[in-house]
Amino acid sequence: MAQVNPDFMETLRQAGTDTGAECNNCGTCVAICPLAEGHFPRLMLRYAQLGAQELILDQAQELWRCLHCGLCTQTCPRGANPGEVILALKRFVVASWRRS
Amino acid sequence: MAERTNHNPAQAPADSQAPAHNPAKNPPPAQNHDQAPDRNHDHDQAQDQAQDPARVGVYICYCGGNISDHVDVEAVRARMAAQPGVAVARTNMFMCSDPGQELIMEDLRAGRINRVVVASCSPSLHEGTFRSAIARAGGNPYQYEHANIREQVSWVHHGQAATDKATRLISAAAGKAGLLDALSPLRVEALRRAVVIGGGVAGLRAALDMADSGIQVLLVERTAWLGGAVARLGRLAPVGEDASGLLRGLAGQVLAHPGVTVHARAVVSGFGGYLGNFSLTLSRTPDPDVNADVNADANANADAVADAAPLSKMPSKTPSKMPSKMPSKMPSKMTVGGFVRGLGVLAPTQPDAASQDQGPLTVRTGVIVLATGHRSYTPKRGEYGYAENPEVLTLPRLIQHLADTEAETGPLLVLNGRAIRRLAIIHCVGSRQIPGIHQEDESGCLNEHCSRVCCAASINAANQVRERHPQTSVYELYRDIRTYGRGQEEMYAKAAANRVVFLRYSADDAPEVRRCPAGQGFPLEVAVRDGLTLGQELRVPVDLVALATGMVPGPVAELVDMLKLPVGADRFLQEVHPKLRPVELPLPGVFLAGTCQAPMDIGEVCSAASAAAVKAVALLSKGHVELDPFVAEVDEQACTGCGACVAACLNKGALGLETLELDGAMVSRARVTPALCLGCGACVAVCPEYAIDINGWTLAQYEAMVDRIVCRLEGVA
Repeated sequence: MAQVNPDFMETLRQAGTDTGAECNNCGTCVAICPLAEGHFPRLMLRYAQLGAQELILDQAQELWRCLHCGLCTQTCPRGANPGEVILALKRFVVASWRRS
Repeated sequence: MAERTNHNPAQAPADSQAPAHNPAKNPPPAQNHDQAPDRNHDHDQAQDQAQDPARVGVYICYCGGNISDHVDVEAVRARMAAQPGVAVARTNMFMCSDPGQELIMEDLRAGRINRVVVASCSPSLHEGTFRSAIARAGGNPYQYEHANIREQVSWVHHGQAATDKATRLISAAAGKAGLLDALSPLRVEALRRAVVIGGGVAGLRAALDMADSGIQVLLVERTAWLGGAVARLGRLAPVGEDASGLLRGLAGQVLAHPGVTVHARAVVSGFGGYLGNFSLTLSRTPDPDVNADVNADANANADAVADAAPLSKMPSKTPSKMPSKMPSKMPSKMTVGGFVRGLGVLAPTQPDAASQDQGPLTVRTGVIVLATGHRSYTPKRGEYGYAENPEVLTLPRLIQHLADTEAETGPLLVLNGRAIRRLAIIHCVGSRQIPGIHQEDESGCLNEHCSRVCCAASINAANQVRERHPQTSVYELYRDIRTYGRGQEEMYAKAAANRVVFLRYSADDAPEVRRCPAGQGFPLEVAVRDGLTLGQELRVPVDLVALATGMVPGPVAELVDMLKLPVGADRFLQEVHPKLRPVELPLPGVFLAGTCQAPMDIGEVCSAASAAAVKAVALLSKGHVELDPFVAEVDEQACTGCGACVAACLNKGALGLETLELDGAMVSRARVTPALCLGCGACVAVCPEYAIDINGWTLAQYEAMVDRIVCRLEGVA
């Protein structure tokens, strides 16, 4: 059972952007993403929004599907900037990997 | 008092051809309204019919195939044309259309007919349509009979059986129509006064609107305060007006209005009368003590641990274990029109209070507006940890706290001296309950309705917390979000921008509120299977849980019994028609306003209250009202005064015995109060002398119908 942690947003902000907090889970990013399977990238944004760090680290390989085409960021109706959030999450994962 | 005026010659052209039988028996309308109804009506009618025999017009509707696909309408028409007493028989594709109605009106104007039968759909749809057409053509709208050959025939029978049944029903209607009298509507004098029960926003709005239209209004409020549930609110969704300002303004207008008398600390304990002339008994509630009110409010839900330490009315940064009540000096300083959060605007003492007369007071009124409001759902002990954990409270309490501490900002929300780092709001508590999933209350009832306002109220509270206390995180655990009104969707979007985190649960897998394991730094955690994270189980450690409790029906059982009010399956008071007559009750002259009817927000409450006010004013505007004349009438010659009908009468006061002079002797006779008579016929069934009848539904008319149903008809099985 994953734990929710609002302080994660600060971590993510330092890694690039915390705009993912404004996501309302509409799934437009999933629909537009040319490479995604399943619920990528929405689910990763959701994990970030909740601060579910262990889920992010567990499923970190998903992040490297992203080629940063920017379509999700262009189409996001909330301006949550999913592409930039994915990039920040990659930095967070790498930093966590280094520490462990 | 009411008056029956039969045989208004102006409304019955057939009658005008006959000389007046006895002018003394035909009092002109609008006079002598205290007189008994015209008791010689049946004799007159017999003479009328001798002079102007019934000529029945029968009009049969195809209903665009709805009827004619199963009933051979033309065959029925031919059969009806051959029946005795039927002057014309016609068909039309849609009788309710203008050309259809014109058929009837033309035959009436040409004098070909003087009674009308339309065979079509249910009378609840179009009886009024055809009565109105008759009146427009100068006929008497009560010389009309409706045969339902759609719901009762073509929708349930087919082929020859359908055609034959339609023939029987129309034939019976024509038989009855031949005996229909030229009735006139009951005319009831109406007091231009209104009583509004309930001093919340609905009652205040309705009282003000009626008073502005020149109606004298008496506003009855159980407590000493005006404002109802709105008095407990702060910044209102979606745009943030201040509830207290709104209430001060509205209550101030009511208190200053010369047309409104506020009767606070009173309840309705007796009811009688009828539209235009109701009588209500008002009893004083126990000795009013404003201080007691304040304490009672602070201790509402005192059995709940959460509320045993009531939310501070003082600045919350003052840590205090003591239940902080209003300063005891406050009530003596309170002046009429003053506002106290949680209670409302102080109402004046009653006009008659000075006399120390504590007895009940009887008031007479033309109409009644019910604005008795709702109750906020009280969670069961243990429901989402309520009453077992001091960190669980209801959303209304949180909203009141936010209102009380509105001037405060700071990184963290502070409640009872405790900093709140994370707040969870759980939606749909006590609303949208599902049989088999939720537990019934003591009376075996579930609240299956959506309370409609709690989504907006929760999101509004979340936005306030996030904007005033940016370090306090807010989680909204919801089933579905219903932000349906103007500006509410924007408010919902703003919550996302404010970084309120939404988690979605399903009704059969509700969140669990439990003590957080030691060492985690939070008193509670909420475990939820989140639909937005593909059913991931999540733990949300929190400092405070607010339960978005819904609206449940108010405690109005006594009023329901007294006024015989209809109550819906959801136990809210139920209107006549949810779409077309949304503020009316079957009891004429009694109207619904506000949340006694259903959950609604303040704007909707005011719409309903203003609608009720307009309906009431329209009824009273002429100083009298007209009712359908289908009520009992006594034949004094045949009546023996045995009283069986009085014992059988279902509506107290509609029938009584009176002593009167008849042929030089004093005798006892049954007497009908027409405005109270339900027209049910219970009296007719028990009268041993056949001395009482229902106008428009007389025994002779029933016999004519039965004769036509059982007689041999050519070609009909």
